Amino acid sequence: MINITGLAIGLAACVLILLYVRYEQSYDDWLPDAERVFQLQTLYEATESGGEEMNLQMSAIVAGRALEKDYPGQVENVVWVRSFSPVILQDGQASVTEDLRMVDGDLFAIFDVPFVRGSAANALPDTHSIALSESEAQRRFGDQDPVGRTLTIVDNNGPVDYRVTGVFEDWPEHSSFSADAVARFDLGAQFADREYALTGWNNQQGWNYVKLRQPADAALINERMPAWEKRNIPDDVGEGGTTNPGDFQDYRLTNIRDIHLGEAQAASVTPGNDRFTVTTFAVIAVLVLGMACVNFTNLATARSSQRAREVALRKVLGASRRQLITQFLGESLLVTAIAMLLALTATELLLPVFNGFLGSDIAVTYFGAGGILLPVIALTLVVGLAAGLYPAFYLSRFEPAQILKANKSAADAGGSGQLRNVLVVGQFAVSIGLIICTAVIYGQTVYARTSDAGYVRDGLLQIENLGYRGVDGRDQQVVEQLRRVPGVEAAARTQIAVDPGGNSVSRVYRTDSMEPIDLGQYSVETGFFDAMGMKLIAGRDFSNAIGRDDSTTPFPIEEAAERAFAERGANVIVTREATRRLGFTSPQEAVGKQLRSELTQSELGLVPITIVGVVEDARFRSLRAPLQPIMYLMRREGFGAIAVRYSGDPARTREAAETVWTRNIPQVPFDGRFADDIVREQYEQEAARSQIFAAFAILAVIIGCLGLFGLAAFTAERRTKEIGIRKVLGARTRDIVQLLVWQFTRPVIIANLIAWPAAWWLMRDWLNNFDARIDLTPVPFLLAGALALIIAVATIAVHAWRVAGTSPVRALRYE
Amino acid sequence: MLQMRGLSRIYRTDTVETTALDAIDLDIASGEFVAIMGPSGCGKSTLLNLMGMLDTPSSGSYVFDGKEVAGLNESRLAEVRKANIGFIFQSFNLVDELSVAENIELALLYHKVGSAERKSRVETVMDRVGIAHRARHRPSQLSGGQQQRVAVARALVAEPKLILADEPTGNLDTNHGEEVMRMLQSLNRSGSTIVMVTHSPAHADYAGRVVNMLDGRVLQERRRAA
Repeated sequence: MINITGLAIGLAACVLILLYVRYEQSYDDWLPDAERVFQLQTLYEATESGGEEMNLQMSAIVAGRALEKDYPGQVENVVWVRSFSPVILQDGQASVTEDLRMVDGDLFAIFDVPFVRGSAANALPDTHSIALSESEAQRRFGDQDPVGRTLTIVDNNGPVDYRVTGVFEDWPEHSSFSADAVARFDLGAQFADREYALTGWNNQQGWNYVKLRQPADAALINERMPAWEKRNIPDDVGEGGTTNPGDFQDYRLTNIRDIHLGEAQAASVTPGNDRFTVTTFAVIAVLVLGMACVNFTNLATARSSQRAREVALRKVLGASRRQLITQFLGESLLVTAIAMLLALTATELLLPVFNGFLGSDIAVTYFGAGGILLPVIALTLVVGLAAGLYPAFYLSRFEPAQILKANKSAADAGGSGQLRNVLVVGQFAVSIGLIICTAVIYGQTVYARTSDAGYVRDGLLQIENLGYRGVDGRDQQVVEQLRRVPGVEAAARTQIAVDPGGNSVSRVYRTDSMEPIDLGQYSVETGFFDAMGMKLIAGRDFSNAIGRDDSTTPFPIEEAAERAFAERGANVIVTREATRRLGFTSPQEAVGKQLRSELTQSELGLVPITIVGVVEDARFRSLRAPLQPIMYLMRREGFGAIAVRYSGDPARTREAAETVWTRNIPQVPFDGRFADDIVREQYEQEAARSQIFAAFAILAVIIGCLGLFGLAAFTAERRTKEIGIRKVLGARTRDIVQLLVWQFTRPVIIANLIAWPAAWWLMRDWLNNFDARIDLTPVPFLLAGALALIIAVATIAVHAWRVAGTSPVRALRYE
Repeated sequence: MLQMRGLSRIYRTDTVETTALDAIDLDIASGEFVAIMGPSGCGKSTLLNLMGMLDTPSSGSYVFDGKEVAGLNESRLAEVRKANIGFIFQSFNLVDELSVAENIELALLYHKVGSAERKSRVETVMDRVGIAHRARHRPSQLSGGQQQRVAVARALVAEPKLILADEPTGNLDTNHGEEVMRMLQSLNRSGSTIVMVTHSPAHADYAGRVVNMLDGRVLQERRRAA
């Protein structure tokens, strides 16, 4: 029973993890012509000026165009997909479609997805056509046919009508791309007032998808990429000197099936994963299954004492060793098959929970291309043979004469006890290792959510959607009215907020050097630091009364205003990390210092700036991202969010904020979230992984304990006579319990010595992925060791008490 | 040394009640060598187990060394047992995984005896029973006679007041049997009290008193002429 249960748990865990691993590795496999579909990615190298290494899935519009121009024989199609979610008006009502993809060409010529209304070939015939997913069509139009209906997208150029041309099946979950709607827009008209978006090689606002012609070789194109970059990327000429974006940028075509687990994970369409995590899960699957097999082998050899006589009798009656091996292997396969049936039942029952945790849509199918029937049969055979092989050879080698002559049931051959000990050590080493990993991952997740971010998370409401066309400058009256809402202590608009989607970087030069230093550059308005709860550590805050504090210039760009700004200069506030990068020994030293920065068109030269204040560093992004040194500029427009500091009831504050928003900007949906929730979402994946890790750690411990329980039972039985003798000689029950418990705690202690260094090494590597991380202290190691020990002792103590309490007379009659 | 009065042992299952010992009265004085005889199932071993406090009586009184022990709990019985009684079994009951010396030392492990003294006492007793040259051997490497000598050594090492031997020659050939009996006789002569269960009249002759049992009762007692 222990054997079947343990094996079933191990197999269920293994099947679940392997389904997950296969799911992660099969992203975009479903797409027709997937081998010909690529994403053009931008890889930024770390620069001496402090630019961080960053691998983006996005690439500049111009890059896709240049590729199409230079490889006409190889490139069949290039479509640029814009990262932008405008407001949609339907029958006068404003709403947002979460995954609306604005494309500049026929995306369905690249993504040949199945259509339920219309067809892929005719879905995006021209600009101002839009195709909806089945769910989106249902959400917007119910059961009516949406084809031919009109949706109005409020883009930068104002409201534009789009005609619904088709309905495609919902995009599969295991895809690196997603879309609830795909609208073909006029790229030239869209960016008419911002030509730099069309021509700038440092301007990544979307993704380039490329379909290659049949015999085209992506590897060859990638190989030629450095020369292609040199040919296409023009120099940037400015006061700071001549630079070429290509010097620190590399481009690469990545096949769509390799995007999800690929190297470039920044600015992804859907959240990616990393190969390390997937490999780790695969290793855990094998370890957990290995543990279950070990239990099987262990218990089978431990039970040899019971089967020795049977083997002897069978041999006496004429059974050959081969027949016995076949018999034992058959038994092993039968047990494994029964365990597999239980495991598959458990898998099907647990799959919805598992999917819920990981946000996946893994399904079990037994037949067909993705069917698991054949792998399951193969796994059953492998496990059945692997687990049964040693016991089969071990049991079948008993000499009948010896066993029958000795009139013994116990035929414990030398060495097998040692092997069992080694296997128990291995099992517990795995369990302890997993417990440590779980504790460290959990600790880091909690740390990430609760560590000092440099701003106060409690009592902070963040309102987004300020960038939408429909806002039309009314965000200022929203923020003014918000400040008058009871309970609101401060409110300010900002370009950067918790979990910012974009990244804005400017080069800054000291007056005595032409060495550029890259600083994040974000616009905020007065009161931002108070609203965020950020500490000013030197100098002063921005003031509306000081003209040079204000860096606002008109949009669309006005040449004269830009020139005036470049001559006048600006006051800035920088973070502590920025002062360090700039070479100041303290924040105080930085205050009053003059610098120059690329804050306007390059032909107007560098803008003189003065540091008037230094604020504490703030982590707006995940702890995985390096801490960005930041330069804040005070502006009066160009914001993305409002930070609202409040005290009192959060729900009531949010409700009041929504009322203010809707009263002023009815065309744009209100998007107000609490900073706590945003941060929690930032680490949702980590949290889910730590829970899955914990679940498998618990599974491993259960399997280990099942094995230990069975072994303790058999050992106690095998040692019954010895226990009797010891009791006759004066041992008390607790002496016997101590003896048995020690026999099994010793391997657990040894397992700690193996698990600790391995887990330390693994976790050190994992923690190194985080810019800020917890210290790897001995606490999780000692706790995991103690926990394993307590569980092991509790498991065997039950047996030990039972056996130790037996009357010695009965124990001595045992044989 | 011990007085038993009306001592009974009844085994009960759901359907059957078996009286193994029926109101036994028996006194054994210090320094005696008593042999208990009788057919199989007459209650010899049960009596020996009660005497050795390996089992508890269903009724009656058992006074050992001046103290009533019939109602003591398992832990107290273990204390009295380890301080006063040594055992020798027909099937030797040695621990297969331990060496000869370790098997003998086992009897001292549960006494408060330091490691050095344990070693010294084990060596002394091994010399005494003539097994010192086999100290590092495992029981399975010894003959039956040698194994029983180890069992005797183990019974002696804690210097008990009473040695209980349950058919100590039952698994031995004639020569080895005689050898063990001579050893027991020698122990008795040096002051040990011995109670032995045996089927062999010849071996019973080594005892000073023979108690014959039948159906859980003492049938007759006879003393050997000095």
